[in-house]
Amino acid sequence: MSRKWLSNFALAGTIRLLIMNSEYQRIIGNRVEVSTALNSWKRVTEGVYLHKFGIDPYEGDLFHETPIGLYVFTLMQEYLPQWALFLLFVIVDLTTALCLAIAAKHYAIELATKRKEEKDENKRLSKDVPNTSALYVSAAYLFNPYIILNCIGLTTTVFTNLLYSIALVSMTRRSVLWSCASIALLTLQGLYPMSLMVPATIYVATTAKNRKIGIITMLIVFTSILAILFAVSYCIMGSWSFLWSTIGFILTVPDLRPNIGLYWYFFTEMFEHFRWLFIASFQINVSLLYIVPLALRLRRDPMLLAFSYLAIAAIFKSYPCIGDVGFYISLLPLWKHLFQHMQQGFIVGCFLLFCTVFAPTVWHQWIYSRSANANFYFGVTLAFAIAQIFLLTDILFASVKYEFAVQHGIDKKINGNEAKLLLE
Amino acid sequence: MTISRILVLFTGLINIGTCNNAYNDFFDEELMLKPLSSDHVYAYFQFTTIWETENRVETLQHSHLFPRGLGEIIGRHNVEELHVTLTEGLWNYQKWGYPFHDAGPGAEVTAWFNKDVTNIEEEWKGLTNALAGLLCASLNFVDTSNSMSPEFTFRLTSVTDRPVNSSHLRYSSLPREIVCTENLTPFKKLLPCDSKRGLATLLNSAHIHNTNYHSIGIHFRSICRNAACTRTSLELRQTVSLIYDTMIDANQDWSIRKFFGMGLKGACPLATLSNIYVDISDNNTNHIYELTPSPSAKVVSLRGGQQNEIAVYDIRAHSSRGIFNIAAVHSAPKNNAIYYPSILYANRYIIGYGQERGSLVTKLYNNHWQALDIILLENIPWYLLVYLNSITITCNEQRVHPLAQRYLPGRERKSPYYLELILRLPPHSITKITIDMDYLFLKWQEYPPDANHGFYMGPAIVTALLPIARNYTALPLDGSTITSSFNASRDAYLVQLRTESLLISLPTPDFSMPYNVICLACTAVALAFGPLHNISTKRLVLKRIEKDWKGKLFSFFVGKLFGAKKKQD
Repeated sequence: MSRKWLSNFALAGTIRLLIMNSEYQRIIGNRVEVSTALNSWKRVTEGVYLHKFGIDPYEGDLFHETPIGLYVFTLMQEYLPQWALFLLFVIVDLTTALCLAIAAKHYAIELATKRKEEKDENKRLSKDVPNTSALYVSAAYLFNPYIILNCIGLTTTVFTNLLYSIALVSMTRRSVLWSCASIALLTLQGLYPMSLMVPATIYVATTAKNRKIGIITMLIVFTSILAILFAVSYCIMGSWSFLWSTIGFILTVPDLRPNIGLYWYFFTEMFEHFRWLFIASFQINVSLLYIVPLALRLRRDPMLLAFSYLAIAAIFKSYPCIGDVGFYISLLPLWKHLFQHMQQGFIVGCFLLFCTVFAPTVWHQWIYSRSANANFYFGVTLAFAIAQIFLLTDILFASVKYEFAVQHGIDKKINGNEAKLLLE
Repeated sequence: MTISRILVLFTGLINIGTCNNAYNDFFDEELMLKPLSSDHVYAYFQFTTIWETENRVETLQHSHLFPRGLGEIIGRHNVEELHVTLTEGLWNYQKWGYPFHDAGPGAEVTAWFNKDVTNIEEEWKGLTNALAGLLCASLNFVDTSNSMSPEFTFRLTSVTDRPVNSSHLRYSSLPREIVCTENLTPFKKLLPCDSKRGLATLLNSAHIHNTNYHSIGIHFRSICRNAACTRTSLELRQTVSLIYDTMIDANQDWSIRKFFGMGLKGACPLATLSNIYVDISDNNTNHIYELTPSPSAKVVSLRGGQQNEIAVYDIRAHSSRGIFNIAAVHSAPKNNAIYYPSILYANRYIIGYGQERGSLVTKLYNNHWQALDIILLENIPWYLLVYLNSITITCNEQRVHPLAQRYLPGRERKSPYYLELILRLPPHSITKITIDMDYLFLKWQEYPPDANHGFYMGPAIVTALLPIARNYTALPLDGSTITSSFNASRDAYLVQLRTESLLISLPTPDFSMPYNVICLACTAVALAFGPLHNISTKRLVLKRIEKDWKGKLFSFFVGKLFGAKKKQD
């Protein structure tokens, strides 16, 4: 077993390092699907360079990392040579895989104990072995092409993903401090991950002796850590100007460079007097709309809740990249028990595959050979988003059906007559 | 009768005299014709108004020779110094030398404001809008997103007892501006004699706008009234620079009538000085020609190691006998041109393919045997994202470090990228400055009509003090008329060169798509909303499948058949 783990990590690390040291690193790093305005290493380099020259990097348009990020990246660029930098990115990515594996293991054990408690009547449902789930999740992260490209492109999403995985692990281990700290850092950087506080709080609250106290401590710890982080940022920069360039930049979507999301072409083509209306409705859609309904529905499975928040954010956030998509796709093996209830796996798989192939093709046709126009690329990103939406809704439907099957058995028959499952 | 007439005339003359005294202003009109070694003729008109008064709002409201419209604008917006140029075409520094006034393609405005001005942005906006109205140019498009305050490139040339720093300076260029008749007509109206008399009658748009290069300019500043500089005067210089191509004619003869479509009727009666100069230094070397009529005087000007011979025509003396024309008649075909290239010039271009990213390359050529210190001002519009960390300055394959550097990153729709470098160019060298940039994707309504034509990017400005005056024509800092540039040797000669303005093709969206895009993107959102809403609000139930009559019939028969089979078994 351990040999399998080791070989997986070694192979994944070698693949990343090999491609990083090839000429493809630059090409991949420049891809719009990999690097967005928020996570591009080129922009980080520029921000660090300006900061070193005593120019406020937030005065310009290029730099959108947090001041804490600026500080860390300044250290990294100052003291690390090129090869060490590459190695750091690979190690961070491997650590993320490890964290995900730990989280997956915890989750699988949890699921197994839950099923035992429920005294499952149907033997077919409890055949899963918890340990394999961890291996699958880590492998799905290590060999996910999206994640590999993301790591090779040296995007800061590599670090964001590490924080995400730490948040997931600490959630499953019910560590108040760690989950709050990681989610606060993520919130400072990307705003949308704030929703992860809901599953984290549910995890803590379910095991706490007093639920109310558990929830209140969680909220207090989170807000105080977030406040400290803002204060630290203010100390580093000496002004609040970074707020507009980080959170303001995420919320108002001024950068219309194409990415895999829905915002860029939508707001390129938007009528000026409707811009704010649609920005507000899109932001509400991604950050607020689904939080409460999904939290109520999936309160018994906070991991699935976290997964759906991650997926919704990756689909609908203002500057998504394939690193975000790859991260939640790597979590799919966690829902191995739901696969039998899923219906659109093949379609979604084909969609994702074709979009991945078509996106660079039509991009080249639009930008370089000028034989296509923006609509082609928009079509691909639209299809990609819809495929992801199908994936998410399919998994959620499957979980509902699974719940039903656990309670009522898998046979769909009423008094011997054929029947079908309906949402009512 | 005659006595009374003489009396009236006399009193009239006295009146004019007293008027002049009361206003203390003078007007000079001059034209310099300079045949260039590249078979072009450089025609430079300068109309100078000097008004011995202080730069105050009250005084500028009542003017005599000074254009009141401009005076009012200058007074209201507390302008200390103003330069407006409207140019079409590119000046070729390598072949044509240095012009009297350098101007970038399109419209360019530079203004220094008084020390009293606190809200400079507002005054700048007001000034450019007023100038837009005055000159019928699109200067109203000047705003914070395309103006800057360079620290080194521009120096206040105006005399003031209250010096200001670059925060009171605004510079902006609109390279897309097309200069035509509608700008020339209001320009001529600023002159005391309008276009009715004097040299301004030569400015006929039909003959001016088919030149290789034409540039009109308005330059206002305060100058010293006396040598001790105890009091100041206002100086307004209105200039027209034209480059005529004489190559197209077989015999290369040129004349005023050929250039401007008509001869000169006479001087402007309000002008104190009304002269035409012809630079005849290259006569008998590059060209052999004879000027008719022969000039009133010849002046030899020795300036910074360059000797020029200049033929001077006093228009008043020549035009007394009706319409007057100066012609150069070549007696022999052109010799092999001996031309001395300018010692400093620059060019700029963009490399890279695709509409995603590129690099801006500026090349500086130093042909002098000494090292030259130059200031380079890069004015990069906000729709090009500049990566300062990618800047590489190389000279003879070696990295060079700038002596000083100023940089302000741009902001989308708010301010341009401002980069100013002070460089030392080694003797006989080509220095190459490369900087990477990304092309921005704009909103669909921000693209100009014919979006695929591309976006213009203003020129870079190279400022230097040249040690020698080869190919140098500009007036000295303390001079106001062209005559002041004769024999005006100084320690150094200030040049400001503009590079090419560049055309950048930004990626464009499909402009016919807004409704479709809005519908499609909202559909994607709805596709997520529907199922998620269902999942979170509804519960799963088992429902018997109700069959319609066909299904019932079918299952009945199937049941019968299988039932019979089962029974048989």
